[in-house]
Amino acid sequence: MDVTEILKSLTGRFPEAISEAIVESEIRARAYVDKDGVKEVCQYLKDSLQFDHLCVVCGVDYIKRNEIEVVYHIASYNHPVVLMLKAILPRENPEIESIVSVYWNSNWYERETYELYGIVFKNHPNLKPLILPEDMLGEWPLRKDYKGFPNKTARNLV
Amino acid sequence: MGEVKEQKTSTSDETSVEEVPGVITTTASAISDFLKKTKAQDLINWGRKNSMWFMTQPMGCCGVEMIAMGCAHYDTDRFGIIPRNSPRQADVMLISGYVTKKYLPALKRLWEQMPSPKWVIAIGDCSISGGPFYESYSTVQNIDEIFPIDVFVPGCPPRPEAMLQGFVELQEKIKAKKDLGTEY
Ligand code: SF4
Repeated sequence: MDVTEILKSLTGRFPEAISEAIVESEIRARAYVDKDGVKEVCQYLKDSLQFDHLCVVCGVDYIKRNEIEVVYHIASYNHPVVLMLKAILPRENPEIESIVSVYWNSNWYERETYELYGIVFKNHPNLKPLILPEDMLGEWPLRKDYKGFPNKTARNLV
Repeated sequence: MGEVKEQKTSTSDETSVEEVPGVITTTASAISDFLKKTKAQDLINWGRKNSMWFMTQPMGCCGVEMIAMGCAHYDTDRFGIIPRNSPRQADVMLISGYVTKKYLPALKRLWEQMPSPKWVIAIGDCSISGGPFYESYSTVQNIDEIFPIDVFVPGCPPRPEAMLQGFVELQEKIKAKKDLGTEY
């Protein structure tokens, strides 16, 4: 299957959940996915389109649009295509379904996205901070309005 | 040493030891406090400065360089600097990299587990001023407020030779009784 066929199959199966599906090159494609349908879309990608490798889950904070995006990069070993799925969440209460039951390795990605952006992954088996200390939870350091950077001058620097 | 004990009991009245007629009692810290004022401390310091075992506790990329320093190529053994795996056996803690907020409690605990006398050497720009991670949301600034750092070795990372030089500086400080690890 080449990239246009993959996107055609995806939009044909999920006409509501998938929008703005664009072919970027013969190895890259991207699409927006509805935040309620992300698990079903991933399940379909894995079972029917041989997208068996989740590369990364991350977040992007669009503070001017008052939105947070979750970005999934999903690749395939059978056909050389990397698909980028984006889900738009409201900034106040970002919640999305966890895809751990589809791709097991999203477990730690989702935990890290949670601790850095405060995106809650519903039905995640163990949603707690991965790298940051527990008491930094709630600061969400990678959000654009994070204020907690040290403003103390390191004395040895001057 | 008999003379030493005698002198000490006369001055250590705050450690109210029960007076037994004919028996002179003392404490280990009273003896060491007394010894610090005598020439014997020079001998003790000579011993200390020639057996500075350091704790292998790499924290950042500088830690790799620290391990390289402890290996055969740079032969730190000739100065009595030997890597140890346990804080219980170590005399020197090397802060070898960025101290993150999550790691600081563990580092403090390691420091508390080391028996006195003990010294700290800060290695690399990260432990001195933050280095490339200056103004990061997860690193601790101004480590020298937390640990009594004797020697700073700048570099990103410093060469193993520079670290060895740091140890030699610390030896000089101990010899001159200027180190922060002991109260004179
Ligand atoms: S000073 Fe440089 S080499 Fe050392 S831990 Fe920091 S970044 Fe790594």
